[in-house]
Amino acid sequence: MRILRVALDLPVDTLFDYLDGASHVKVGQRVLVPFGKRQIIAIVLARVAVSEIADNKLKAILQAFEDEPPLPAATLQLLKFCADYYQYPLGQALLSALPSRLREARPALLPKLTVFKLSEQARAAGLEAIAPRAKLQRLLYQALQNTEHLDATLLATIASGWRNGIKQMISQGLVMTAEVEHLLQVNLASASVSPPLNADQQQSLDVILAEREAFKVWLLYGITGSGKTEVYMHLLQAVLAKPGSQALVLVPEINLTPQLEARFRARFPQMHMVMLHSQMNESERLHGWLRSQNGDARIIIGTRLSVFTPIKHLALIVVDEEHDASYKQQDGMRYSARDIAILRAKSANVPALLGSATPSLESWHNAQTGRYHLLQLSNRAVLGAALPEIKCIDVRQLPLQEALHPQLIAAMRQRLEHGEQSLLFINRRGYAPVLLCNACAWVAPCTRCSSRLVVHLRDKRMRCHHCGHEQRMPMQCPKCGNPDLRPAGQGTQRLEELLTAQFPQARILRVDRDSMRNKHAISAMTKAVHAQEIDILVGTQMLAKGHDFPHLTLVGVIDTDSALFSPDYRAAEKLFAQLMQVSGRAGRAGKSGEVLIQTAFPDHVLFQALQRHDYVAFADSLLQERQMANFPPYCFEALLRAEAPHYEPVREFFRAATAASETLTHNLAVYDPVRPRMERLKGMERAQLLIQASARPALQKFLRSWVTMLRALPQAGKVRWSVDVDPLDF
Amino acid sequence: MSSNRLVIEGEVVALDLLRYTPAGIPLVNITFRHTSIQNEAGMKRQAECEIQAVAMGELAKKAEKLNIGEQIKVTGFLAKKSLKNDRLMLHINELKTI
Repeated sequence: MRILRVALDLPVDTLFDYLDGASHVKVGQRVLVPFGKRQIIAIVLARVAVSEIADNKLKAILQAFEDEPPLPAATLQLLKFCADYYQYPLGQALLSALPSRLREARPALLPKLTVFKLSEQARAAGLEAIAPRAKLQRLLYQALQNTEHLDATLLATIASGWRNGIKQMISQGLVMTAEVEHLLQVNLASASVSPPLNADQQQSLDVILAEREAFKVWLLYGITGSGKTEVYMHLLQAVLAKPGSQALVLVPEINLTPQLEARFRARFPQMHMVMLHSQMNESERLHGWLRSQNGDARIIIGTRLSVFTPIKHLALIVVDEEHDASYKQQDGMRYSARDIAILRAKSANVPALLGSATPSLESWHNAQTGRYHLLQLSNRAVLGAALPEIKCIDVRQLPLQEALHPQLIAAMRQRLEHGEQSLLFINRRGYAPVLLCNACAWVAPCTRCSSRLVVHLRDKRMRCHHCGHEQRMPMQCPKCGNPDLRPAGQGTQRLEELLTAQFPQARILRVDRDSMRNKHAISAMTKAVHAQEIDILVGTQMLAKGHDFPHLTLVGVIDTDSALFSPDYRAAEKLFAQLMQVSGRAGRAGKSGEVLIQTAFPDHVLFQALQRHDYVAFADSLLQERQMANFPPYCFEALLRAEAPHYEPVREFFRAATAASETLTHNLAVYDPVRPRMERLKGMERAQLLIQASARPALQKFLRSWVTMLRALPQAGKVRWSVDVDPLDF
Repeated sequence: MSSNRLVIEGEVVALDLLRYTPAGIPLVNITFRHTSIQNEAGMKRQAECEIQAVAMGELAKKAEKLNIGEQIKVTGFLAKKSLKNDRLMLHINELKTI
């Protein structure tokens, strides 16, 4: 069977056949193939006896990467399932899951280390083989005699002039070189002491451990600061005690990986560990991938993209902050890493542990119906640490231009006097969200999106936070000529300015994407806060989760009301989770915490539930609403999106797509196309169409036929379109 | 309809801090009180008013140095204060101390 069936990174749902060029390339390995005028990387999926293409028309592959470990069958199967489920071409699904180095036409192997060892002859002859005058060579001989081999770093510690000595010994046939696999380094420090678990934590751990050998989804619902990470670490410790076993830990954000990495490394200094996230350089990512595949890495910590990493002896998957929206990929194949993690755990027959203080309604529903098994942590882990007191401050009486209520300012002043830290949370970076002309009501719009430009006063620029477009601050209003334009509303920079004026003696740090651009800024910030070199933090959702700052006792929340009245039915769920998260930053280490939320709607049910820390009641009421409205998790959705520089082709595409859907028999709801809230984005006119089904198989069956029809539509070539299965954003 | 010019003298009663527009143009708000004797229907009468004015650019730097109680003579044009506020605002084109 000399014919290879391969997957290519092309937007078509077909596989391609090539002759194997007399190579012995295996299924799952990479080959370089000619495609038109290009040469591209392909993954071998099968060897077949006959092709639909005549033998003399078949082209041969150009190169086979036979030395590389093939992608395991389980990984290929997983991606095949994903391509199917998310209606995405298999070749693209496969290749986009790989680290980018594996998409390049050069060998991708782990780095080899050159080592030096004594030849058999030298070993047999003993030290006499070397003249007594050759002191350096004698020294090297003795070092090499005691071990199998040594590398350059180790030899350098023996003698600085080792290179000359070794060179002579090689020429005399006394020393040989060899290439060995470069293993991960372990830290020889002793492990950090694990604090004793409280009763809740211990019970959760015991329950999982009792069933650690088989697939089961555990939902660990633990209030903020209840020590979920500690449960993960104890679990890992137990599971990884089995030699060779590996664990995958998914985390929502790159920002949180350094912190978690530090904690894990301190606890498991002897375990090989790799990090996988998009901010690593390409070879680091490749090596992490290969070390997971060959079993060298015992603990794999990564963001959503790491969910596809081949793992030789997977024994456990942990998904931290399982509700987090960043687990959902928002372009290309729009997968949910949480859902795929569960699928992987199932096919590997290992437990999956999902942790959150505010589980997603989907997971909560699954726990209620018994598909997942609920575990609860209802106390804060640190003895004496209570949940913070949450209060709403009514801002209806506050003059509009005042951003901070006197009550909040007083609370901050009190923290300053006690040497404690405060955090002000505002989910908007920049100076002000709009630039307004109050002579004619003009606001600065983005030229490419239906959005407004955000004022970045310090750089004297305006930026669109959706498309990245930026321009200089206008000298005057382009409509009426008024030069006295006003930044309106609050952003992190403006709050920082305001606080500096209010508390000139305080050390204030702003934490947002602009101020944390530098790779090490986050860890520097964390360090400074721990060292109590900061009094007040002002920041966006970057600060909301994961961080554990023992001296922080006050959290102020500003300007969240817009989310209360969003047309997105998930807005309340998201806002509750976010406010719960950010509230959880206060009072984690025994000092009592306080949370003050500025709102014009203090009586809103969301705030009522929040003040009681009552996730369960709020989740149950939201679930009831969803059930009445027949929204997820009580129905299954898919969203067809399309965009083009002009609206007309988009309209035509949807007309054809709707017509196609009518030719299919189905029992699901195909809604009319609508414009999303951002009608125009990055210069593209957009529209979308929602499909709701009461059962997943019905939706899948419909999508399979429909998407095939869509791919063949002539109108499809004039727009950029995509299908989002289980969409999170509308 | 392009005539819009007011020449008026008065005593500075309030001077805001100098501020800048987002594009960096300096700007200062001044309030001054005008008191004079004017002719009306062939008779003399008192005229008194308080004027809110704004000076921008180079004039703002000059206006910033004024003192409360100082007598000034200004030339400028009138416009309403904002879209929602019909109060008149004098935009200064020339400023002299007297």
